[in-house]
Amino acid sequence: MFELSTDVGNLKELREGDFSAYDAIYLGDFSCPEYPNNFSSHAELLEAGLQHVHARGQKAYLRLYAVPGNDDLAWVGDVIDTALQLPFDALEVHNLGVLRMLRERGCTAPVHLGVFGNLYTHETAKVLRDFGVTRVYPNPELSLDEVRYIAEHADIEVLVPVHGKIPLVISETCFILEHSEEGAEGACGDGSCSYQCTQEHWLKRGRDDGSRADWSLKDTGRMTLSGKDLCMVEHGERLADMGLKHFYVHNKGEAPGYAAAVGRIYRDALARAFAGEAAPDFAPALDTLAGLAREGLCNGYYFEGAGQRYIGRS
Amino acid sequence: MVMMMAPGGTLEMAKAVLDEGADAVYVGVVGWSRRGAQDELNDDEIRHTIDYALARGKEVRVVVNTLPSSTELPMFVERVERYAGWGAQGFMISDLGAMRLVKERLPHVNVHTSVGCGITNYEDVRFLRELGADYVVLPYRLSVEEIRQIKGAGKVGIEVFLFKTPSGGKICPGKCNMSSYFSFRRWLDTEGKDHFFGSASRGGDCLRVCQTDWNFKVDDIDYRLPMTIKTNPALWLEELPDYLAAGVDCLKVPGRDRSAVLVRDIVRVYRRAVDAILESDRPDLSVFASELETLRGRWMTERSKRDNRLLRQAIDESARVSAGVAAMTQ
Repeated sequence: MFELSTDVGNLKELREGDFSAYDAIYLGDFSCPEYPNNFSSHAELLEAGLQHVHARGQKAYLRLYAVPGNDDLAWVGDVIDTALQLPFDALEVHNLGVLRMLRERGCTAPVHLGVFGNLYTHETAKVLRDFGVTRVYPNPELSLDEVRYIAEHADIEVLVPVHGKIPLVISETCFILEHSEEGAEGACGDGSCSYQCTQEHWLKRGRDDGSRADWSLKDTGRMTLSGKDLCMVEHGERLADMGLKHFYVHNKGEAPGYAAAVGRIYRDALARAFAGEAAPDFAPALDTLAGLAREGLCNGYYFEGAGQRYIGRS
Repeated sequence: MVMMMAPGGTLEMAKAVLDEGADAVYVGVVGWSRRGAQDELNDDEIRHTIDYALARGKEVRVVVNTLPSSTELPMFVERVERYAGWGAQGFMISDLGAMRLVKERLPHVNVHTSVGCGITNYEDVRFLRELGADYVVLPYRLSVEEIRQIKGAGKVGIEVFLFKTPSGGKICPGKCNMSSYFSFRRWLDTEGKDHFFGSASRGGDCLRVCQTDWNFKVDDIDYRLPMTIKTNPALWLEELPDYLAAGVDCLKVPGRDRSAVLVRDIVRVYRRAVDAILESDRPDLSVFASELETLRGRWMTERSKRDNRLLRQAIDESARVSAGVAAMTQ
């Protein structure tokens, strides 16, 4: 009927968290190879992660590093070689070069294009389909109508994020480390990372009068996210009517328990919408989701001019 | 022979850079390039630029590097065919689908991948070459060694900007949506063309939100003085012989959104510098040091004025949206 997925960075988080609301798990943090025991950069952990997910009847997708430089291609290749020996349900790429590496290695597993793949048009989706891509994550700047157009005209699955922070920019080095006391001495990627990203880091533009900040971004070190949480819980019926079927909750950078709480709410809301049931009272769900979203809720770019606004069902 | 390509943000600038010795000029089409309309040319101006360049044995590249909407693609192809028919020899493109459509219909034109393609390694370059790219523009951050590795990976023209940022840091442009997150509007004109405010990727100006004062907080505690969150690129010259030796085919002077006078003066200096390098095994670039320093200062001054103007637009738009939200919730 529909698929609900989320992301988990490493084995510890996978074992300790409750991801039972999800049909599929994207394994790994595509932004930071240094993230502790990241599936995306630790080939030796792939089998254990995969088994954990499959044992629960869920699909396992492996995320590959999003912005490799020339020097990263060798270790990315090693991760790919290991992954291709395992029954992953798909591999996710954000980088055209990595996509080419998969094709060169004869990858027969489905390939998903990730959020930093810069997918804006159905014609690009068709190009990527010829390289083995079966699912695309359209750029967050696209409206819901544009997303649907791609799904309908490119004969390809489209992943639709329904909740969580919006990835806005990615880095090759760690912003947190570069601006910490340690960063003045060490360099990102030299093995000296002290994982300060386990604390919450926020970028805030203050108002001149010293009152509450008017712009907020969350920073996870190598990725900057929206301050607000995208929230589409009230729009399940519309998503179902549009023929969209693959939904995603962004979990990277969130506290333990976030994915479980959000997943339960969306599992219920989407199941009702796809069953054609009358829309329930969303107030309790919105209270919970707003409580998890420190800077509030928004609809991202889905309703074109909406930006950071939140538009409800009415 | 390396091609020096310079910007034509206005018709006046386009003519000036050709007069000063640029081998080619690149011009953006209103609504179709990663700049505001004030730095793009209309069709009459583009045709005039092409005629002007061709009469002098020079070339024109047309910048159509927005990431378009799917429904705009027929219009995109029509535009490219029109400019190619007028004599434009190449196009700068970001969208892979658009790139393939152009190469299918106009195999003889040069396709330059745009910064919007977000290249980070030589496998990216191989992918784009196989798709039909004739030139790939590299990001501002790569070292000479990385460029050498990319050049060695395949037969494709290598294009580099004559300005750069230190290696690392947030990837801009090509992987950044911060501007549009805070200020974004979309509207259609009477022909069905999409227009955007706040998104360089989709057409228009990046509103430079990275250049405001940001407080960096850890668990709600400020631990740095307010700061900008991206480093700005600067003009460079000293490594130019190494770049050319690494196999760079096209040098791109930046500055579509700078004054025609500044861009003219930059081209004047770089033309002499490139000629000096091409004519000598041991060129003395120290003679340009003073001029380059002056140009860097002028560049920074103009950038600062532009950033302040764009940032003000972002703040005003954001306030307008916030006011709308407040009104809706009352």
